[in-house]
Parts: sequence; structure tokens; C-alpha cells
Amino acid sequence: MADTTPSRDAEPRPIGAQLIIPIAAIAFTVYYFTTILDTPWTAQVSAFFVGTILLILSVAFVAREIYAVRRGRATLGLGDLVSHADVTSGRAAIFALTIFYIYVIQWGGFTITTFFYLFICIAILNRGRRLSLAAIVSFVMVIVGYLLFIVAFDTRFPRGPFEFLMQKVFFHG
Amino acid sequence: MAEIATFGHLFLHSLTFWWVIIPSVFLGMIVGALPGFSAANTIIVLLPLTLAMPVEVGLIFMIAIYCSSHMGAGIPAILVNIPGTAGAAATPLDGYPMAKKGMGQQALAISFIASCLGGLLTTVIALFAMPVLAQVGYYMHSVELIVVMLFGISLIATIASADPWKGLIAGFFGLMIGFIGSDPVYETPRATFGFLELYDGVPIIPALVGLFAVSEAFLIMEQSSIVSEEDQANITHGSWAATFEGMMMALTRWWHIVWTSIIGLIVGVIPGAGASIACFVAYQQSRSFSKTPELYTTGHPEGLIAPEAANNGVTSGTMVPLLTLGIPGGETAAIMMIVLQYHGVNFGPALFQLHPEIGYGVFTAMTATYLLMLATALPIARYMSHVTMVPIAYLVPLILAFSLLGAFVPREYMFDIGLAVVFGIIGYIARKTGYHVAAILIGVILGPLMEQYFLRALKESNGDIMVLFSSRIGNALWVALIISLFMPTILAKWRARGGAKEVALES
Repeated sequence: MADTTPSRDAEPRPIGAQLIIPIAAIAFTVYYFTTILDTPWTAQVSAFFVGTILLILSVAFVAREIYAVRRGRATLGLGDLVSHADVTSGRAAIFALTIFYIYVIQWGGFTITTFFYLFICIAILNRGRRLSLAAIVSFVMVIVGYLLFIVAFDTRFPRGPFEFLMQKVFFHG
Repeated sequence: MAEIATFGHLFLHSLTFWWVIIPSVFLGMIVGALPGFSAANTIIVLLPLTLAMPVEVGLIFMIAIYCSSHMGAGIPAILVNIPGTAGAAATPLDGYPMAKKGMGQQALAISFIASCLGGLLTTVIALFAMPVLAQVGYYMHSVELIVVMLFGISLIATIASADPWKGLIAGFFGLMIGFIGSDPVYETPRATFGFLELYDGVPIIPALVGLFAVSEAFLIMEQSSIVSEEDQANITHGSWAATFEGMMMALTRWWHIVWTSIIGLIVGVIPGAGASIACFVAYQQSRSFSKTPELYTTGHPEGLIAPEAANNGVTSGTMVPLLTLGIPGGETAAIMMIVLQYHGVNFGPALFQLHPEIGYGVFTAMTATYLLMLATALPIARYMSHVTMVPIAYLVPLILAFSLLGAFVPREYMFDIGLAVVFGIIGYIARKTGYHVAAILIGVILGPLMEQYFLRALKESNGDIMVLFSSRIGNALWVALIISLFMPTILAKWRARGGAKEVALES
């Protein structure tokens, strides 16, 4: 195993973020085990086999890192995982917008919702500049997407007012 | 001699269908490049058209889409770190670092050459060695397949070379996620968090989209473009010379293309294994036997050649058990089987006597497709590489919107878009903290397959775990697996000793 511990003189490294995946793995494995306690052996055998290995690996990793914290070689800080840059770069806003987009698309349909999503995202990342270009790019991409995915490939992307209108106009219902 | 003349005649006959092959190649490259779309679901969508065509035209149409989609999946993997399908999941490991250095055009040329030559070579091998290759599929039972799966899992530790411990945690975490869903025997739901949509297991496409596309989009948001300003000059002044340079990089490593594509062919013959395993097996073997393993994941041409040659080697491999035994080697082969059966084609040895234009024609059509693919794809590498210069402000929203919708396509559940976001969060944290997303993905892919074979082996042996060591082929594979696990360390020590001797001699 690679030694990730720094020398004694080095600044304590923040390792809190590195513990998220192993802790999530431990929590998920424990949850998984609770769902298979009263099930036939066929449902248990693979999960117990792999889950046990995962628990050993994760617990040992967490223990190693905690030991480093106790020896003063590391801190539980999150490093650059969460920082002010998440707000200034627009990452936090776009994440929130993405969640909203997923929620709204089932009613708004692909074309209209995606147009507004693209337009607002581009506007955020461009810090409000060149809005007309953002509108043109969003419009062109959405129309290309509509023609390619819905008209050509007949993909069942979420339908909304625009798709139903086009269906009535061009395909008579 | 008569056989070669027959193959030659069939090949020339296949070439006369260039008017079907060329548009199908472009369609295949597009659907391969779009996460969520694949050759399989495109052929399904176009099934009414395929069934209406004469059998020969329909077959060539499907073959061309199939082969080109494998190559197309590598394009976004190289340019924006988002593989179009799971079969290209190992391509960004070295393809994307090349693109970031402003060498996207060279990387695309390498990918196209490796894909086409790898596919071409394995097609010719499959054509002549079909009777022998068919036996590979016949002798691969549950135990042998478990060891093949473990081969895939063993790669996890070596892919994340910076800290193999993290690689193992990521891989086994992926495996546990892959076990979500009903158990294969009694359909008992496991770890589904109460969601009915997870009863069939975790769908691969939302996992792929989330781990690669969503996490990458959120990661690159702080940059102005994928390529740094200094490296942008390489693209701005890009010319045909860069494509030629990439071609030469691939052609001078012709031996690498040969043996990694043969890995793809052999993995493809094994039903159920597929391109997603082949690309990682080839990548790991390539790095193990490389003289410069330290260059892998930094934008090394050999690290790009291996997965691309292998995933195209798979295409001819999957056809072997289909044609000789009637067992499709993969999803697309299964759909082709349905179409051919609709036209009254029966599989097995008799196919080659009764309908040689179909039996051998599959491979001659593949040969023609790969040749035409090479001619059509290489000239456009120059223009495709400009994707890396698109400002992030436009690229990120497009990646997010279209890849999330790609997650929706295979099952048409809104739930799958949400699932892609959850995988995106996991992928973002993993990337920021040094856990490799490819390790998680390969775990998710292999989890259900491994469980299925593990249970089958245990059932056959009445629960005796020693069944895993009961077959000669299986035991040989175990030995190969152990050798493959320790080979990198042994070779590294051997090289270090060689280097030390040289230094001593010089001094």
C-alpha cells in the first residue's frame, strides 16, 4: 500500500474529505446487511463475502487516518472539497438549478425546460455577460436536440406543451 | 485456397454496400458518442426499418452501426472525459490527459487507428479461427467466468496506482452498489432504499453518466476551457500534420495494437463479458508489460491504444458464439440474432454451408466497415478536437443537460436522472479525494454478473466453496490472475535492479 503519510516537519494535511467515501461505504454495507438478515442464503452469500472485505478495508483505512490525526500529522478538515470557490464559480448555483431542472422537466417537457436551463446556466457561468449569445446557443442546441432525439430517434424524452403542440401541428395529433 | 477465394469474393461483395456502410458508420459514431445511446438501442429503435430490408442489407447496416459505435464511444472519452459507453470507460485514462495537453487531434487519430486496425485484425483472425474460438465459449462455465470477473476486479487496485488502498475501497464499494436489487434466485429486494426502480438492480448508464459526465462537469467549472491557454496554440495551429503525427504514434506501436485487440477478441468470445471488461483487462496488461508504466494515466499513447483496440476486438469476438453456437456474446449480438432469425436464418455449423454469405458475410462486412471507417473518421479528427476549446460556460450546461437526459433514455424513468445526480455527487467527491471513478464503475458493472456466476457455481456444487478450484481451466486462470497481480511489482523491482546495475557500471 502506498504510504501517504507526510514527513514529521510537514503541515498537517486535511483528511476529512478522504474519509467520506470509506464512511459512506461502511454505512451502506451495514444498511445492506440489515436488509438481508432474514432472506434466503442465495440473497446473502455474495453480499456478505464482498461486504466483509469492504468493511475491513474501509475500517482499516479510517483507523489509519484517525491515527494520523491523533499523532498531529493530519487534521479532519475538508480541504478544497467545500470552499468559497463553489459559490464564486457558480457551482453551487448550477447544482441547485440542476436539481430544479430534473424536478420541473417532467411537466415542462424537454424543449422548453432545457432551453431555460441552458440559458440560465450559461448566464451564471458567463457572469451575466453576452446574454443574447447565451439565448442563441440555448435555442439552437435545444432545437437540434428536439429534432435529433424526439423527431429522428423517437426517444421518449419528457413531453410538455411544446412537444404536444408540434405533434398536433406536424403530425395531426 | 478455395476458402480464401470465397472470403475475397464475399469481401468485395460487402464493399459494394458502401452506400449503406458509410451513413451507418456516421450514425454509429453519433450514437456511440452519446451517453445513454448505444448500437443496441439504436438497432431496436430502427427495428421496423431493419426488418423491412433484405437480410443482407439489414445485416451490413447492423454490423456497421455496431462497429462504429464502439469507436464513437471513445470520442467524448478523449475530448471531455466522458465515455459514450461503458466499453470506453478506460479510454479517458490516457486519452483525456492528451486532450488537456492540446493533443486531442493526435489522441483521436490514435484512437481511430487502434480501433480500426484492432477491429480489422481480429475480424480476420475470427474468420479463420472460428472453429477454435467457438470452443472458448463452450468451455467457459460459471467458475471460469468468476475468475474472469476477478481479473476485472484485480485491475481496480492497479488502476488507482497512487494509493491502491483507495482503489480497492472504490472497487469493492462499486461491487456492493452493483449488488443492489432483487436477488437472482428468489427475487428478494436488497438495499433498494424502498425504490421500486432499483428492484432490477442499478442501471449502468445513470452510473456512467453520473460518475463521469456530471462529476466532470462540476469539476471543470472553475476553468475557462478544457485545454490551458498555452496548450491552446497547439490546437489553433492544428493541421493535418497533427492527425498524421497521431497516426504514426499508433502505427509505430503496431505490435501493441495486435496483442491488445486479441485480448478483446478472446474476452468478446466469452458470453456476457463484453467491452467494459475487455478495455480494462487490456489496459492493465498493457501497463504491466510496458517499459514505461509510470507514463500511464499521464497521456501515454499505449494507454490509449490498449482499450481502444480491445473494445473493437470485442465486436468480432461476440459474433463467434452467435454464429457457431447460436449464443449471442453480447446485447447487440442478441438483437442481431433476433433480426436474422426473423429472416429465417438458423445458427450453428450448418449456417456456413447453407448461407455462407451470412455466416462468413458477417466478418467480411466487418472488414469492409473497418476499412471505410478508417477512411471516413480520420479526416474529421482535426475538426472534432476543437471541442476542447469550447468555453466551459457553454460546454458544462450542454454536458449536464444532454448527459442527464441520456441517463433517462434506456429505461425512460425520471428516477434514473436523479440516480445519475447521486452518482455525480459520489463521483465528484471521489475525484476530489483521489478515489478513481473508473474503479467504482467497474465494480457496479461486475457486481451483478459476478453474483450470478457465483450463485450458479455454488448451486451446482451444493454450496461447496471449493468448487471455485475444481476446474482445470479455472485453476489455470487463477494462476494467471495471481501472476497478473504480482507482475507489475516484480517487473518494477527487476527494472529498478537493472537501472541500478547500469548506474554502477557507468560509475
